[in-house]
Amino acid sequence: MSIIKTEKLSKVYNPDTVPVHALREVTMSIEQGEFTAIVGPSGSGKTTLLNMLGGLDRPSDGSVFINDTNVTGLSDKKRIDFRLNNIGFVFQHYNLIPVFTARENVSFIMLLQKRGKEEMQRRADQLLEEVGLGDRKDARPGELSGGQQQRVAVARALATEPRFILADEPTANLDSASAMNLLDLMEQMNREKGVTFIFSTHDQRVIERARRVITMVDGRIDTDEVRKSETDAA
Amino acid sequence: MNMLLTISWRNIWRHPARSGILLVAIIAGLWAGIVTMGWGKGMVQQRSDYLIRSELSHAQIHHPEFLAEREPWMHIPEAEEVSRWLAGDERIRNHTMRSRADAMAQSPLTTTGVRLIGVDIDTEPDVTTMHRQLTVGEYLDSDVRQPVFIGERLAEKLNLEIGHRLVVRFQDMDNEITAGAFTISGLYRTASSDFDERNVFVRKEHLSELLAQEPVVHEIAMVLHDMEMVDEVVADLNRLFPGVSAQSWYEISPELRYMNDMIGIMLYFIIGIIMLALAFGILNTMLMAIFERVRELGMLLSIGMSKRRVFSMIMLESVMLSLSGAAAGMLLSRLSIGWLSRHGIDLSMFGDGLAEFGIDAVIYPVLDGQDFVVVAIIVIAATLIASIWPGLKAIRLNPIVAARE
Repeated sequence: MSIIKTEKLSKVYNPDTVPVHALREVTMSIEQGEFTAIVGPSGSGKTTLLNMLGGLDRPSDGSVFINDTNVTGLSDKKRIDFRLNNIGFVFQHYNLIPVFTARENVSFIMLLQKRGKEEMQRRADQLLEEVGLGDRKDARPGELSGGQQQRVAVARALATEPRFILADEPTANLDSASAMNLLDLMEQMNREKGVTFIFSTHDQRVIERARRVITMVDGRIDTDEVRKSETDAA
Repeated sequence: MNMLLTISWRNIWRHPARSGILLVAIIAGLWAGIVTMGWGKGMVQQRSDYLIRSELSHAQIHHPEFLAEREPWMHIPEAEEVSRWLAGDERIRNHTMRSRADAMAQSPLTTTGVRLIGVDIDTEPDVTTMHRQLTVGEYLDSDVRQPVFIGERLAEKLNLEIGHRLVVRFQDMDNEITAGAFTISGLYRTASSDFDERNVFVRKEHLSELLAQEPVVHEIAMVLHDMEMVDEVVADLNRLFPGVSAQSWYEISPELRYMNDMIGIMLYFIIGIIMLALAFGILNTMLMAIFERVRELGMLLSIGMSKRRVFSMIMLESVMLSLSGAAAGMLLSRLSIGWLSRHGIDLSMFGDGLAEFGIDAVIYPVLDGQDFVVVAIIVIAATLIASIWPGLKAIRLNPIVAARE
């Protein structure tokens, strides 16, 4: 079942001066439970595509459907609410709130969803346990390693129970061991909970783990490779 | 809201030194502004109170043209009738009757123009406090013959001392020049050297005798139980006694009210300047905070925090920071003014200069609760205005670009 569909998605920056075609009529779909990497050289359009999928930017032409909702047609306010309730974000620089503890960083986003205090606490603790930080709940980001911070970011992304998680270069700032640990965690979430992950990445370690690799070149999908998972192979 | 408050409060303390310096600046600025305000108000109020207590009283009654023409014949013929009415009115605490004459005071050394004020020594102390300004000798209840109570400054000018004779010449009720010799019983000193040089107090009956050889009343002064009732009492008097003119203290001395109003405006102007500096401090601090947190703000906007909430968070940070400083600044000011209002600000080193303007050398600052409320409102308004730009800057960030900064 497709959770994301794009139809002839185009994005042109500076249309009136020096037009830059970041996306050219991209049509694609992402199924529930995918573990997909969008790759390509700088300027290929992968980040622009990720922004469109995340409802962070509007296309010049075409549409993005998320679970049959045309995100491109939503008002700014509705897009903000839509992002909050449907999409999880993991950033390259973790982007945690430094004055909050790990637990508060995870709770905060649920507060935006106006969830009850007890539910927020319970879910934040549970997610931090799941990402292996059960004993660092009260640590602030400055007291955590990069890998641990990114795990908190994953817990935060999962907290709102999104339909999918967009991860923008999530391993770029991590050492190998931390990157592998993080990928293990994400794969586990994908496998066990069916969480859909979409990565924008240059990192070969991520590309190797992805079960689908969409390669962008000059704003178009150049290749779309679906690999068999270990389970499928078995 | 709780989470917003928490995040805002903690954000303030990300850079304790920077926030601390701004807090100290707010506290110091407010303290300086409020104490200056208290000092200014205290100074003006002291001057007003002093003039009302010592000279003006709450209201006065004269012949309708006396204050403009000052002719001796412009007395109050129905003084006794007015006096009875005043004595029977519950709003009036005390009243006294005076006779007055503009005179030339002579000494072997020099001559100078003075105002002779004939006072009733029994009722005058219930209305004014001139008797308390005695510095040397005795008040007019002295046993000396025809006592006169003059300012130290006049005594110095005329080179006279206690027991010396002071000769005064003035017009009597028939416009004839008359003269009287009085014995200096006591000297006084007020905050105003000009007042001390011009006003000479004698007993009413002595002055009346020289003016008309019968009781003459040029002025009836009164104090009320509640000064706020003055307009009402004055209106009643003018209605009941059409042959006289009753005026409130601020009608007799409009410059005093003007001074009160002016100092109020001036002090708020000073507070305004301090608040302007505060606003720029807040603006600078908040802009720095925004520039430092671009990535974090980008994340918040990306994950679904509404622009309204982001804007509120920035505004809350500013308001909490400035309100903390304002609360501490106002508490410190309150304590300072409390202490200073008891002990005074001693400006004796400028005493002579201040006396020229009729201002005491020791100023007791005063501020009422309303002033603190006004200052608090100004602080909040200045903070909110100063935070608008940083707040707008935050919500105008492109979430995608900001999150990757």
